[in-house]
Amino acid sequence: MGSSNKKKKEKKKDFNKAKLKVGKAKAKAANFTDTSFKSKSIVVNQHTLAALDGVDLVGLFKQHLNQAINSKSDKLRQEALVQLTKDLSSKPIFNPVGVPNLLTKLLPLITDSVANVRTNFLKLLRALPPSDVAPHVEKILMYIRGGMTHLSTEIRSDTLSVLDWLIEVCPDETVSCPGGWLKTMNSFSSMLGWNPSVASTLSVKGWTSATKTSLNKVSKKNGEAQAKQITTLAKFLEAGFRPETPLPYDEQRYWDSIYRMPTTPNPFAYLNLWGAQRDEDGEMYPDRISRQQVFERKWRAAIKTGVMGAKQEGGVIGRAASVLDKVLRTAEEGGKKVVEEPKIEEVEEVKA
Amino acid sequence: MPKRKVAALEKVDADLVSLQYKIRRDPKSYAQEFYDQWLAYDAQRQIFISSPSSASSEDNKKFHDLVDLVAHVADLYPDVTAPYFDHLKELLTQHHAVLNPDLREKVVGSLSLLRRKDVIDSTSLLTTLFPILISTPSKSLRSLLYTKIVSDLRESNSKATNHKLNRTIQTVLHNLVTSDRTSTKGMWACRITRELWRRQIWTDARPCDVMKEACLSDNEKVVVGGVRFFLGGDKEREDMEDDSSDEEIDIKKVKHQGTINKKTKKRQKAMEKAMEKIKKQERKKHAPHPLNFSALHLIHDPQGFAEQLFQKHLQNTKCKFSLDNKLLVLQLVTRLVGLHKLTIISLYPWFTKYLTPKQPSVTSFLASLAQATHNHVPPDAIEPLVVKIANEFVSEASAAEVASAGINSIREVALRQPLCMSETLLQDLVMYQKSKDKGVVMAAKGLQSLYREVYPELLQKKFRGKEATMGLKSGEVKRLKFGEEQVESGIEGIELLEKYKEEQRLKKLAEKGEDADGDAKMKDDDDDEDGFNSDEWEVASNDSDSSTGWINVEHSDDEDEGPAAKKQRRDSSTAPDLISDEAMAAAAEANRISKLAMTTILTPADLAKLAELRREAQLDKMTGTVSKRRQELIAKHIEDGVTADDIELPAQIGKKSTKEERVAMAKDGKPAREEHKSTQAIRKSKKEAEGKSSTNKEKARKKNFLMTVGKARAKHKRSLVDTKKRLTAHIARSKSGGRRRNGM
Repeated sequence: MGSSNKKKKEKKKDFNKAKLKVGKAKAKAANFTDTSFKSKSIVVNQHTLAALDGVDLVGLFKQHLNQAINSKSDKLRQEALVQLTKDLSSKPIFNPVGVPNLLTKLLPLITDSVANVRTNFLKLLRALPPSDVAPHVEKILMYIRGGMTHLSTEIRSDTLSVLDWLIEVCPDETVSCPGGWLKTMNSFSSMLGWNPSVASTLSVKGWTSATKTSLNKVSKKNGEAQAKQITTLAKFLEAGFRPETPLPYDEQRYWDSIYRMPTTPNPFAYLNLWGAQRDEDGEMYPDRISRQQVFERKWRAAIKTGVMGAKQEGGVIGRAASVLDKVLRTAEEGGKKVVEEPKIEEVEEVKA
Repeated sequence: MPKRKVAALEKVDADLVSLQYKIRRDPKSYAQEFYDQWLAYDAQRQIFISSPSSASSEDNKKFHDLVDLVAHVADLYPDVTAPYFDHLKELLTQHHAVLNPDLREKVVGSLSLLRRKDVIDSTSLLTTLFPILISTPSKSLRSLLYTKIVSDLRESNSKATNHKLNRTIQTVLHNLVTSDRTSTKGMWACRITRELWRRQIWTDARPCDVMKEACLSDNEKVVVGGVRFFLGGDKEREDMEDDSSDEEIDIKKVKHQGTINKKTKKRQKAMEKAMEKIKKQERKKHAPHPLNFSALHLIHDPQGFAEQLFQKHLQNTKCKFSLDNKLLVLQLVTRLVGLHKLTIISLYPWFTKYLTPKQPSVTSFLASLAQATHNHVPPDAIEPLVVKIANEFVSEASAAEVASAGINSIREVALRQPLCMSETLLQDLVMYQKSKDKGVVMAAKGLQSLYREVYPELLQKKFRGKEATMGLKSGEVKRLKFGEEQVESGIEGIELLEKYKEEQRLKKLAEKGEDADGDAKMKDDDDDEDGFNSDEWEVASNDSDSSTGWINVEHSDDEDEGPAAKKQRRDSSTAPDLISDEAMAAAAEANRISKLAMTTILTPADLAKLAELRREAQLDKMTGTVSKRRQELIAKHIEDGVTADDIELPAQIGKKSTKEERVAMAKDGKPAREEHKSTQAIRKSKKEAEGKSSTNKEKARKKNFLMTVGKARAKHKRSLVDTKKRLTAHIARSKSGGRRRNGM
């Protein structure tokens, strides 16, 4: 039958000599490999092929820096951050790119999607010398504000840890830089849901309003998160209302401040000579009195009602709220003092 | 303990897209969440603005997403998002050069989204986008902005014309063109204006004014943009209109499919959509045609414009435009001159230099010269040019193509100003019909037949032809004079109306059985029937009518023809055989016509009939025994432009076409044939593609043999009577339309 014929032919085929024909391509060999394909990218499994055993430390640092931001795998990012932290905490500090560059590159990691990366980033920040951080507080605060109202709860609370660190390291700069006081307060209130401005935008008519349907108010874990938020707010306010200790009079410093070149970067920032015009929220509040005044005017009532509510909840939140309440009270007393002091001076002047 | 599995839910919540969806569903409950994101957006914006050029990709992406979110829900929280538009505007105007392309696109998209949601108005959107369009170096951004601008203008003019916005934008464009005449920025004004003109959104004089200014710019590109608009903008507009009405839906097919296919919501929607479209098309068909003027007619002060164009770009020796562009400008100038009958005397001597066969694209120059000629151009200005063309192009030694192009262009010039020719030159040119080349012969014959009609005296007697000779003899053909205008004295085509009325009346009389006995009586009846309750009108005329049988309306110019007309009227029943009599008949006709218009009031019905009759007469002329030349003249309006193709045409006549051309001609209009296939097969596949089924015959042919074999055998065994019965029944059935009696 046909099929056996076919099989016979197929068997024979291997031993037939291939005929070459004019105008037809030569038959392909049995072991032919097609190499005509094209590819836009090649996947490489290893990230580095070069042996890097202590050859180029600067290059290695930069590579870690790049990996920390650009690498797709979270493991790599995390490891790179650990390496950077190691370099930064070594004695003497090894930082070939400088703190400003380092910060500009790494700050977006505040809102990284992986928790381990964020914690490692915080470790890295802690390794930085406080004096080097001070000039960049404004920038760090911008990222912190971005993270404080992030959609994910974990990122929010981790951002608060960064803010904690910042308050620890340079409390004065944190509350006095442009936008540092009111804008951060904005974010806090929005985070805690103690925001009077949102209620007004809602334009709720009548005496009831829907219960707060927040994406994040579900679990028990949230209670802890809110307690942390309140604690950090307390720290922040404390830093803002901390009475300034007047420096003892030093003749040398007095004359230096008048005739010497200033040593701090952007010493006339409060004049805002080059930046865009700032609104009320973005303004600098460099001293305690101005901070206190603007707080009284805008936030005191909202925060107070918030604190009352939180206190009634009890538990972790209640405890944190009472700490905050204490801070507010001491601030009030301090504020009164501040308000009273100039009065005495005035009286004295009148006497004179 | 196993791991808690909530990751998916949290991930979904941390997604801006789903948040956007939730916000849109219930804006009140999610105000807090939105406010959070608004703050995040604000922080991210500040990060970006603090170092716009060195923003990391991470930051860019975050900012991109937040901008997107805010734009989509901005209309729900107007208080919070009040500064949003200003933010975007500032971002785009200050940093468009350094912005990441994706982010930039998103910002532009968000702006137009705000416009669509009516958060901002068109003017603020367009005034934001327009300055960037003309200043950005990025091509992709330019094209994006251009489409956005045009679509927004279309959108805001879709329901009703937004005059205020149009005026604002037109002023902006006008300023753009006029402020800096050397820059290429005017190109954008040209492009936008042209696009909107094409879409019939702008149809008035203001966009024409913008283009006029563009034509007078110093930049070559801008000038060409403007000139091309005037030369081709209107045609483009017409084409666009045709295109839009092209796609037609076969309603029968749609309905049929509706009965057969499974009924789903999707299908039903599609059907409703199709019906809606059909209705729309119907409405469009019945809507009155928009009365759009051509751009050339809307130009303000065409004389000044044409003069300026000519002096600036053509006469000026410092102008360094390329030849093609100069030709475009020349075409526009001459078109304006021909259309508006302008007088630019210095234009004609300027041509002299270019009228040699060696000049590149000389046919375009020739066509332009013909275009620039009209009956108000002094013959002295053109005659040297005609002589030059004749000398340079037309000689026995020159190539046939050159000679035919020369003669043809002379004919085109003479068509518009017949006085441009001297007798000897014409005789010389007409003699070229004895040439060997067909193209030259045709061109020369064309010239001859033109002069037979317009100015036969100039031709030699033997070339005049029968009609012209007779016309000359009878004095019907008058001598041409420069500057003389033929003025239409009455209502065009009124004689047709009168004739028609006469016929109607006769028909009625015939029906009544009465016989029309005399002209005079007919006339009376005519008056009685036509004049509807206008006795007072008729009193004076009827008197004279009854006495002479013909009323003599006195015109100042043909007073002397009065009595002749009277005589003619009497003779009209007998066959007139003298030519002079015919001429008199014409004059009499003229008299009679003016009477109809004077004695009766034409009703709207009359006017409609008049228009119809005029159209019929036109058609008769086109199809009747009128000479080809006349037909051409009727078909082609003298105001239409002349192109180089018109000049080159006769040269093509004698040429043999190549094989490729012949094949292409044969293939033209036939179905495409990718592979070798029979016509039947092609038709069949086409039918199948349209979703039609096969015919019964085809089905029968395909039927399995074993199924038919039994019947076929039985047929063999039938008796003769039986066979006959079947056959007659078959014939009767097929005559009455098949078993179903279709068509009964």
